[in-house]
Amino acid sequence: MTGPSSKKSGAGRSRTGPVRDWSGRFGRAALIGIPLAVLVVWTLTPIVWAVLASLKEPLEIYESNALLPANPTLAAYRKVLAMDGFGRWLFNSALVTVVATFVPLTISVLAAYGFARYAFRFRHVLLLLYLVPRIIPRVSLIVPLNSLMSDLGLINTYWVLFITYSASAIPLATWILVGFFASVPKEIEEAATIDGANMWNRLRRVMIPIAWPGVVTAGVLCVREAWNEFAFVLALVNESTMRTLPYQLYVLKDAMGVQDYAVYNAFTVLTILPLLLVYLLLERRVVDSIVSGSVK
Amino acid sequence: MTSVDDSPELPPLPRDRMADFKEGVVPYLFVVPGLLLVFGILGYAVVGGAILSLNETDMFLNKTFVGLKNYRDVFSDPRFINALWRTLLFVVVSIALGIGMSMIFALTLYRVTRGKRFFRGLSLVPYFVSGVATAVMFRFIFTTSGGFANSVLSALGLPTPSWLGDPALAFMVAVLANCWFMVPFATLILLGGLQTIDREIYDSASIDGASDFAVFRRITLPLIKPMMGVSLIWVTYISFSTFDIILALTAGGPQRATELLSIYMFETAFLELNFGAGSVLMMVLLAFNTALSVLYLKVFVMGDHRRKLEK
Repeated sequence: MTGPSSKKSGAGRSRTGPVRDWSGRFGRAALIGIPLAVLVVWTLTPIVWAVLASLKEPLEIYESNALLPANPTLAAYRKVLAMDGFGRWLFNSALVTVVATFVPLTISVLAAYGFARYAFRFRHVLLLLYLVPRIIPRVSLIVPLNSLMSDLGLINTYWVLFITYSASAIPLATWILVGFFASVPKEIEEAATIDGANMWNRLRRVMIPIAWPGVVTAGVLCVREAWNEFAFVLALVNESTMRTLPYQLYVLKDAMGVQDYAVYNAFTVLTILPLLLVYLLLERRVVDSIVSGSVK
Repeated sequence: MTSVDDSPELPPLPRDRMADFKEGVVPYLFVVPGLLLVFGILGYAVVGGAILSLNETDMFLNKTFVGLKNYRDVFSDPRFINALWRTLLFVVVSIALGIGMSMIFALTLYRVTRGKRFFRGLSLVPYFVSGVATAVMFRFIFTTSGGFANSVLSALGLPTPSWLGDPALAFMVAVLANCWFMVPFATLILLGGLQTIDREIYDSASIDGASDFAVFRRITLPLIKPMMGVSLIWVTYISFSTFDIILALTAGGPQRATELLSIYMFETAFLELNFGAGSVLMMVLLAFNTALSVLYLKVFVMGDHRRKLEK
C-alpha cells in the first residue's frame, strides 16, 4: 500500500483493521473502476456503434431497436468497395498522406538539426517563426488560399494538397524534433566527428537513430494530419475524382437518396481503420512522447 | 561558429575565409527551406486574407478596394452576432466539460495499476479519428429513429427526443462530439504532469491527515499548473476553430444554433461567394487565436523553448 494508494478515501487511510482495510480497498477499486469504465465506454461507444450499424441490413436500423445486428452481414462493405470512385478516393488519400508525411518530415529533420546543433544569429527568432503558424487554425486560411490557388491555377491538382498539407505539418514536426535532437548528448556527435564522420553521416547514422522515437512520433502526427485533413481539401478541390476519403464521407449524405445507414457506417469505419492500424503499431512511442510532454 | 568545433582549449586553427563562410551558412541552409514553404503558403494566406478583407470581389473574382466596408457590413449583421455568441458559448462549455473530463480521466489513468499501458493507449484513440468521421458517428448515435441514444432510452421506457432537431440539444451534441475528439490529448498531457509529481509528497500529506480533496487542491493542482495551462490552451484552440465536426454534424443548424464563426465564414465565402466578408471573419478568427497564443507563448512556451535550446 504505497504510492498513490495512500491518496485515497478516509476509511483506507487508517490501516487499522482488516474490515476497514477491506472497505478501503473496495472504495479504492470503485474510485478507479467507475471512472475507468466511463472512460472506456465513452471512448469506444461511437466506434463500436458504427461497426455494429455497418454490419446490419439496410433498413434494420429503422425497424428494430436492438443494439446488435440480427443477421450480421458484410454487404455494406462490399457496396462501399464497389462504389464508383472508391479506389480513386482511397488512392488520393494514400498518395497525399505519403507525400505530406515524407516531405515535411525531411524538411523538419534538417531544420530541427540546424536549430538543435548550431548557434547562429536569429536562431530564437527563426524558431519562433516556425512555431507561430501552429496557432493559426487552418480553417481560417481557406478563404485566401482558395483565392491564391485559383490565381495560380492549382485548384483540383495534387500539388495544391501536397503544398498546403506539407506547409501546415512542418511547424509541429520541427518542434517535436528540436526537442529530441537537443536531448542527444553532444559528446556522441563529437566522438563521431573524431572518427571521421561528416555532417551528413552524423545526422543519418547518429542523430536520427538516437532520436528515432521523436522521428516516429512526428511521422505519425504528420500521417494523422494528412489522412484526416478536411478544410483544405474542401476549399481547394471540387472535382469528385480529386476528393480524399474524409471529403467523400462528408458529401456521402447528399449522394445517397434514402440513407443506407449500413453503407454510411461502413464507409466511416473504412476511413478510420487505416489510421487506427498505424496508431496501433506505433502506439507506445506516440503515447510516451505525448505523456513526456514532447508534443504540445 | 558551430558548437561542435567550438573548443576553447585548442589553439585556433588557421582557417580560410571560404570555410568560415561555409560554416556560417550551413545552419541557414538547414532552417530556411522549411521556413520558406511555411511562410510562402501560410504567411501568404494571412497577408492575402487581410488584403482580401478590404476588397470586394465580383463574380469573376475581380477585386475593388472598399476599405473597411466589409468589416462594417459583417459587424452589423445579426448573423455575425449570433455566430460570435454561439462560438463563445461553445468554447466556454467545451472548456468546462473538456477540462473536467480530462482531469478525471488523467487522475484515473494515473491510479490504474493493472493494464495501465492498455488504457492509456485506448484513451488516445479518438485523437486519430477525423473530425468528419467523429461527426458522422455522433450523428448515428443521436439519430432520432435507430440511433444508439434513443435505442437505449426507448428500451428504458424514456422519451426519445429529436436530438439534432432541437437547437439546445443539437448544441450539446456538438459540444459532446467536440469533447470526444479533444479530451484524449488533453488527458495525456495532464497525465504527463501528474507523473512528474514525486509520490513521497502524497505519502507525507496523507500521514499529515490531509483529505483527498485537500491533497488535490493544495498539492496536485499547483504542481501540474504548467500542464494544466497547455491542455487548457489546446482545448480552447480546438474548440475555437472547430470546423469539420460541426459542418458534418449539424452544418450550423438547427435554426443556426450551432453556427459557429468558422461555419459562418465557410458559408459566406464558399456558398455566398462573398470573399471579402469571408476574409473579415477569417481576421476575427485569427485575432482571437492570436490573443490566445500570445498568452500561450508568454506563459508556457518561451521558458520551454529556451530550455529546449540550452539543454
